[in-house]
This record gives sequence, C-alpha cells and structure tokens, in this order.
Amino acid sequence: MNSIRRIPIGEYGLIGDTRTAALVAPDGSIDWLCLPRFDSPPVFGRLVGGEEGGHFVIAPDEPATLAGQGYRGDTATLETEWAVDGGRLVLADTMVGEVTGVMLPESLLVRRVTSQGRPIRVGVEISPRFGYQRERARRIRRQNGNLLVDHGDIAFSLTTGTEHQLEPDRPNVIEVRPDRPVTVVMSASHRGPLFLVPSEVGTGEAARDETRWQLWADSLVTGPHHRRAILRSFITLQLLTYSPTGAPVAAPTTSLPEVVGGSRNWDYRYAWPRDACTGITAFLSAGKEREARGFHAWLLHASRLARPRLPALFSLDGRPAPLEQELEGWPGYADSRPVRVGNGARAQHQLDGYGWVLDAAWQLTRAGHRLDGETWRTMQAFADHVTRNWMLPDAGIWERRDLPRHHVHSKLMAWVALDRAIQIAEQRSDTPRRLTEWSAAAGILGDEIARRAFDPHNGCYTAAYESQDLDAALLLLPWTGFEPNDSPRVAGTIDTIRRELGAGGPLLYRYRDHDGLTGREGAFLPCSFWLVHALAMTGQRSQAETLFEELLGLGGELGLYAEEMDPVTHDHLGNYPQALTHSALLQAATALND
Amino acid sequence: MDWSGWATFGVAATAVLTAVIVGAQLAGLTRLDIPLMLGTLITGDPDRARFVGFFLHLVMGQFFALFYAAGFAQLGRSGWLLGAGFGLIHATIAGAVLVPLLPTIHPRMATERAGPSSTTVLEPPGLLALNYGWSTPLVTMAAHVVYGAILGAFLQVR
Repeated sequence: MNSIRRIPIGEYGLIGDTRTAALVAPDGSIDWLCLPRFDSPPVFGRLVGGEEGGHFVIAPDEPATLAGQGYRGDTATLETEWAVDGGRLVLADTMVGEVTGVMLPESLLVRRVTSQGRPIRVGVEISPRFGYQRERARRIRRQNGNLLVDHGDIAFSLTTGTEHQLEPDRPNVIEVRPDRPVTVVMSASHRGPLFLVPSEVGTGEAARDETRWQLWADSLVTGPHHRRAILRSFITLQLLTYSPTGAPVAAPTTSLPEVVGGSRNWDYRYAWPRDACTGITAFLSAGKEREARGFHAWLLHASRLARPRLPALFSLDGRPAPLEQELEGWPGYADSRPVRVGNGARAQHQLDGYGWVLDAAWQLTRAGHRLDGETWRTMQAFADHVTRNWMLPDAGIWERRDLPRHHVHSKLMAWVALDRAIQIAEQRSDTPRRLTEWSAAAGILGDEIARRAFDPHNGCYTAAYESQDLDAALLLLPWTGFEPNDSPRVAGTIDTIRRELGAGGPLLYRYRDHDGLTGREGAFLPCSFWLVHALAMTGQRSQAETLFEELLGLGGELGLYAEEMDPVTHDHLGNYPQALTHSALLQAATALND
Repeated sequence: MDWSGWATFGVAATAVLTAVIVGAQLAGLTRLDIPLMLGTLITGDPDRARFVGFFLHLVMGQFFALFYAAGFAQLGRSGWLLGAGFGLIHATIAGAVLVPLLPTIHPRMATERAGPSSTTVLEPPGLLALNYGWSTPLVTMAAHVVYGAILGAFLQVR
C-alpha cells in the first residue's frame, strides 16, 4: 500500500513545539508525529510505516487543486491552500511551543481551517497508531464534545468546536463556511490526565505562538542578504531543539532513505555534539547568546558521564542513544527498508567531535563569555584526551561502518581541538601546565597531516592517510585555520573536491569510495554549503554567491533541506529536515554576509 | 491513640503510596496524576500544581491516617494485615465515591454533564478513575493497601 503513496520528501512542511515535531504533506496529511517527544514511537507514522502507520488528514472533500504551501511570515505555522470551484480553503497548522505556566498539555496541535468564497466540504480522517507495533487505540470515548483516544500512557483528545462527532479510522466530513472557520484541536498527554482544550482556546494559543515566533525571528541579527532563508534555517534549528534538555535533534525523522528503495536508512532523532557546536556558532552569529549557551550547557550536561571521552551521539536526555534495531513489517518510505530505530554509531570512536566542541568554546570565548571553572576544566580534559588519542584511527564524521581509518578530517579536527584549547588558554590568566603538551601535540599532529594526508600528485588533501580517496568534509579546511587561506594546498583541495566529487551544479557527493555498505547515496547537502563557505573564505566570493543562490533554489518554497539530494531529480533524500544542513547553510550565509 | 506514630508513619505511608502511584505512572500502567489533580484545585499552572498538589496529598494522607489510628484504637489491635484491609476499604471508597465527586468541586476539571466550555479543563477521572487507564483501580488499590499495611504495622494501640 505504501509504495502507492510517495510524496516527495522535500514537499513536507515541518511544524513543531520544540518537544516533538510533525511533517505535513501538501495533501493536508500529517504523516509523521511522534508523541510525546521526538524520539518516541510515532502516533502518525505513515511516512515510513505504510498505511498501518497512522495519519491525520484535513483536506477538501471535493475536487481541489493545491494552490500553495508555505510558512505564515517568519513563524512556525504552516499554511496549505487549495483552490476549489468558486472558493479557496486554507489549512493553518501550528504546534504550540510555549505551554509553561498555563493550563495546557505538553503537546497541542491546532489545525485551523478557513474557507473563502463559499462553504466547502472538508474531510477529516484521523487514524492514530501506537508503539512500534502500530497498535490501534485501546479505548475510544467521548467527553464534552471531545473524542478521547487512549492507549496506555499516551492519550489525546480531539475537538472541532462543531457539533460534528469525529470518528477515528474513517472519513469524517464537515462543512466550513466563510463566516465560521473550524479549528481542530488535538491535545495529547503522556502519563497524565488529558487536558480538554476548547477550539477557541486552541485558536488563541496558535495566534500567540505565531506572535512569539515572529518576535523571535525579528530579533535575529543577520546580514542584509538572504534574510528569508537565514530566518527559516534559524527557525528550523530552533524547532529541532528539544527544549526540556536543550538537546539539538539532528532530524525529526527516522529512516528516510539516502536513495529511494535503498537500505541506508538511519534514525536521526538523537543529538550529536557537532550539531550543538555548529548551532552555537550559528546562534552567536545572529546575536542569540541565550540559545548558543543553551546548546553549550546541554553539551556539558550530556558529556558528564563519559568524560573525558565524548560519545558520538546522545539520547535527548544526554544518555547513550538506544541500540539500533530494525522494525519488522514496516514498509519504509517508498519501499525503502529497513526502518531502523536507535543508532549503531553510538559506540563509534569519532575524533572530530572534540574539535567541534573546543571550537564552540573558543567561539563563546571570542564573543566575550568567560568559560566558568567547570566548563574550562571539561575543555581541558577533552584537549588532554585528544593529546593522548589523536593517533588512533576512527570512524570519521561520516560514521563509516567499515574498518576505522586515519581520516584526515578527523585529524584536522583533532588539531582544531588543540589549537582552540591553546587559544582559550592564552586568553585566560589560569593557563594550565598542559599548554606545553598541547602545543607539542598540535605540532606533531600538524606535521603528520602535512606529510601523510597530502597527495602531491593531485595537489590536494585526501580522505585518509596515504590514500587517493577524497572527502568533501575537507572543504572545512579554510575554516580550521590549519593552513593560510591563500595556500595552494587549500585551493588545490577545494578544486579537486569540486571536480572529482561534483554531482552537477552546486551538488557534491561526500565521498565516492566504497564504505562497506550496499547501495549508493545522493549528493550530501551540507558539503555544498561548506563549498560555498570555502569559496567565500578563499576570495572566490562571486562563485560562492552563485552557488548559494542555486542551493537556495533547491530548497523549494518551504526553505527546508534534507541531508541529501538526488543529483538528477533534485528530490530531497535522507532524514528531513536536517539540522546539519541548516547549520551549514547559516555558516555559508554568514561568510557571504561578512 | 498513638499520636507520635501517627505523625511519623502517616507521612511515611503517604510518601510510599505516592511512590507506588508515580512508579505505576512511569511504567505506563496509569495516567492518574494525583499531585496534578489536587494542585490544579489551587493553580492553573500545571508545573506549580504538581508541586502544590504533592504537599496537599501529604496533608490528606496525614488526615486519613487519623481514621486508621482511631480504627486501630477502637478495635484494640493493629497489624499490617488489618491495616491492609483498611487500605482496601479506603481505596474502594476513594475510587467509588470521592474521586468521581472531584469534578463537582474542581474548578479546572470537566464534569460528566458539562457541555463545551471556553476554558481548558482536565479530563475527569470517572468511576474508580478508570478514565486514566484500565489498570488504575488496581494501582490505587495496591497503593492504598501498602499505605494501610505500613500504618497497621507501625502504629501502636494505646
């Protein structure tokens, strides 16, 4: 059944409340919503769970054509508009983010339907499923005009504010008159009594939510160019932050495929240190110090138990991410199996993480924030750990599942870790005794990179020591400060990567060598934005600007980006939307605005 | 009556009762959230309500412990089994009479007879708090039996 339904990934709109998020298809169907949080099983999971995965549709129940889908201003409210004979129907979807201090549930989805021109028949179909077994609700009741759906510790109420009694798992039709919009409110509770939220209250809360987002977006300090794309990326990053702990969620989905029909389908509903660090840099660049410090606080909290080792990823609570498992019977997105939950990269050694973390600390220091004693001790411990372990092979930024290698990007990031630790130490009066050790290690490591990672034949740095392979992550070379930006080695690396890993236009593959997995993958979008950044930093501004404009065009009307893109069809691939891609977009935009 | 025992073990028994219910909540056995339900009598802020409600529940537990102590004194004996029996009766009365009556005095809870309102309200618990999950009566029964058993075991008959 699921193979019939294939909405392009890039056509889904994201709504969220910073505790969880939903994906809304242009046909008005919520095909993905995990409750109560990002990494919970989906209540609406048709995106990868097939027709038995659950969905929640609101759409015209008469012939209609899609007139557009977009965000309302700089808010997190998504509008879908249809044209019908003699009228128009607008669906505005909001998840209320701020519920602290008020009589509201932790998850409040508000779907407002407005007709223009004439009364329009609207179909409402709600088919919730529970758990990874996709079970039907154990109990369905009614109370005060609400439909109450109950399944163990998860329950939700649904009201339309009309006399129409909604029935689950079958089409319901209500008439929406121009003078009487209808607001469908879904109020969910986890391990607690339900909050029965009237539709008028839902309408008011959704409007307040829009005002909050607009004010927040207005307060972002950005350069004059590409402000719309920049704001959407910031809003997306904020939507992908799990507010109860401040964890940056890599993406709200699991198992959207890196190639349709393929098996490279991973669960990204967890938090990676590098996402927190790129987020810190991005928010600092826009004057959002509270958000930047929030990510840093999460990093310190999450890494506490494993210090001085930095795990590759964490759960949203800062615990080890769950073990990876495949969901039996889940058909996947357009037959892309398996669907996985948990993430096998949890046990990998990834050296680059330390570089991201120490660079974020350095960015905070440069922005005028003195690191407190505990934070600085933690950073020193990370630098010490790098001093002792930089010589080990690792899985690299791409979390390869073949044998560990001496990834050059990882070595460069290890060098970044030591370099930034030294720079922070030099700014502080309490210079640690280990400064000499860090300097010595950075020197030895730098010499080794220059000697073993550079291919003089092709004039570029390679993916791994003494290898001919290329790695688009090395486009971050100018950002690292390892070599002067006018160095021929930097220019050669950018040119070679662009030439050899190019996937058409601004798109790039992250690597081409065999990584031990079956199947292939699309072009990797963060690398394209890193290319823009690299070109801007090495004086090729006009080329960078051109590529950036092309990339913005590929984001579509919604301005959202997945992890990857099909180089031919330009369909988005992989989990969506992806925090790393949006951080890379912001990094590139900042370089262009400088 | 054993006043010092009442003062000490009333608190202890209520704390254990609360822990049993919270444990059941965390295990997904019930959506019953007594601190939230009691606290929203006072405040519409769910987070503050849980804090206030916890202490309200402690006070109520202490109050009900008076009846246990009086009962043991009247019978001239105590013991964990007798206390557990009291707990069973307590849970039955609470579930069948007190809890269903809560919406009639609760300003932020829907009643079974109310129509669509313009304010957000909590879902009412219903008979035996069954609206919060099929296992809820068993959980409350177990919690009250433990509560009674603690009081029965530790309260002296004087």
